[in-house]
Amino acid sequence: MAAILPPQQPGLPGGEDTFAEGRRRLGVPPDLDNVELTEIGEDTMELNMGPQHPSTHGVLRLVLDLDGEVVRACRPDIGFLHTGFEKDFERHTYQQCIPYSDRMDYLAPLINNLGFSLAAEKLLGVEVPPRGQYLRVIMCELARLGSHLIWFGTHALDMGATTPFLYAWRERETIMDINELVSGVRMHTSFIRVGGLMADVPDEFEAMVRTVVHTFPKAIDEYELLITKNPIWRERTIGLGTISAEDALAYGMSGPCLRGSGVAYDLRKAQPYSSYDHFEFDVPIGVNGDVYDRYLVRMREMRESLRIIEQALDNLPSGPVNTLDRKVAPPPRNEINTSMESLIHHFKLVTEGFSVPRGQVYQAVESPRGELGFYMVSDGSNRPYRVKVRAPSFSNLHALPYMVKGELIADVVAVIGSIDIVLGDVDR
Amino acid sequence: MVIRRDRLVDACALLRDDPEGMYTMPVYVTAVDWPDREPGAPRYDVVYQLRSLQHNDVCRLVVQVPEDDPTVPTLEGEFCGMDWHERECYDLLGIVFEGHHDLRRILMPDDWEGHPLRRDYVSFGEPVAFTHNIEWALPAAERPPGMPGTSR
Repeated sequence: MAAILPPQQPGLPGGEDTFAEGRRRLGVPPDLDNVELTEIGEDTMELNMGPQHPSTHGVLRLVLDLDGEVVRACRPDIGFLHTGFEKDFERHTYQQCIPYSDRMDYLAPLINNLGFSLAAEKLLGVEVPPRGQYLRVIMCELARLGSHLIWFGTHALDMGATTPFLYAWRERETIMDINELVSGVRMHTSFIRVGGLMADVPDEFEAMVRTVVHTFPKAIDEYELLITKNPIWRERTIGLGTISAEDALAYGMSGPCLRGSGVAYDLRKAQPYSSYDHFEFDVPIGVNGDVYDRYLVRMREMRESLRIIEQALDNLPSGPVNTLDRKVAPPPRNEINTSMESLIHHFKLVTEGFSVPRGQVYQAVESPRGELGFYMVSDGSNRPYRVKVRAPSFSNLHALPYMVKGELIADVVAVIGSIDIVLGDVDR
Repeated sequence: MVIRRDRLVDACALLRDDPEGMYTMPVYVTAVDWPDREPGAPRYDVVYQLRSLQHNDVCRLVVQVPEDDPTVPTLEGEFCGMDWHERECYDLLGIVFEGHHDLRRILMPDDWEGHPLRRDYVSFGEPVAFTHNIEWALPAAERPPGMPGTSR
């Protein structure tokens, strides 16, 4: 360090000899041409990545065994965001559980609401009117678009492309505006409730959704222009993090990760819920099951979501949005003012909620990440006895060690981005 | 479908490989705690769910295990995706999966006491140690029995 001191420094002679003097004080440098190398052998280095890391999409910690730059083993450590929602469900009434479900997969909260509501409705045996079902579909597909936009922006940002991130957030803002319009809240809307919706949508809703349907295809074209045929992107993603269809299934992967491996399985098609069978859409699949295929699947899914929204909006039925079963959904305000029975129903619903018949159901919905399932057990009271949430990110993340084995450390962030985890969903 | 504990592995292998089943995808494993069942009845229902893509169907298996021996054989060998789900079930409900290669806590911290999703686990209203219940401040092992929240 003495070499960088200025010549005027006391105790060090000035002039040309400064650097020579510095070298003398530091000792003789090693002769790098003839240095004796020790054999490293099979030893690996253990590297900690996260939980506070910009590219792990939340509080995910990975312990990587590295051989040079090559990942030999990867051990994910999760649970940093564990909040105990399943325990919380057990001591809240069904309607009170809805805001908790919002907070699991916080990038697509409406789809969590839908899964929980459908499971409870299955136990109750109530049917939501067509308008309610169509509005649910529109809101869920908007949530899927918003979630995929965040995935697109952050995935590209992880790989060094800064521009798509800003574009994606700009487009997502219009979806947030719609959320705010219908529910008053931008993110954790709790808009979908057991028995229907929080309320019918206001008049401006249709025009705003039409704007999304018209502007988004151009926006997606723009993203694809930036990324899809970008040689740097293709170099980095093709053939990376490959998983075969059989392995993906054995790991319990679902959603775009499974479809990227060439399995055309989409719960919206396979087991339609909330009148998804009324709409025409395709299930995009990949071929190789690598990062690039998963990217292509999600980009095409965004266009399919727009198709669904447009069809639902064109054919939006009129009528009530909530079930007419007054034991489940509260009566409208004007009815409460005139009918004693409605007033009692309202009072009972607000004070103690509704009781759900004894039984157990499993209801799965297609979230942006895959199969989001709710296994609900009721003991006949007004609170769920047990709710198990089958989180898609949990199973998808489980396959990460398999996918990154033998890849370079710089590619680990690309694989994490491509499986699109939400840690709120993983840890619940 | 309720099946016996010792037939679980065979049943799952059959469901996975039989052409009429093809339940190749593990969906989840969990357990439901029923502490108020009549004496002698098994306390835990371990619930397995498998999905068949070929037949577009799900299948739910229930294995009942008693309170004093909450063990089931692991299904890791049949479905590698069961690994984390079994760890989660062990972590939150204390079901022991015999033969699992790495049965550690997954969501809760490693030194956590108790299994939070058991019905007798008190997750709220934890008492504060005052003079009259100063024993509450002791470590769980040294606390006198019968205090509220002792199941942790």
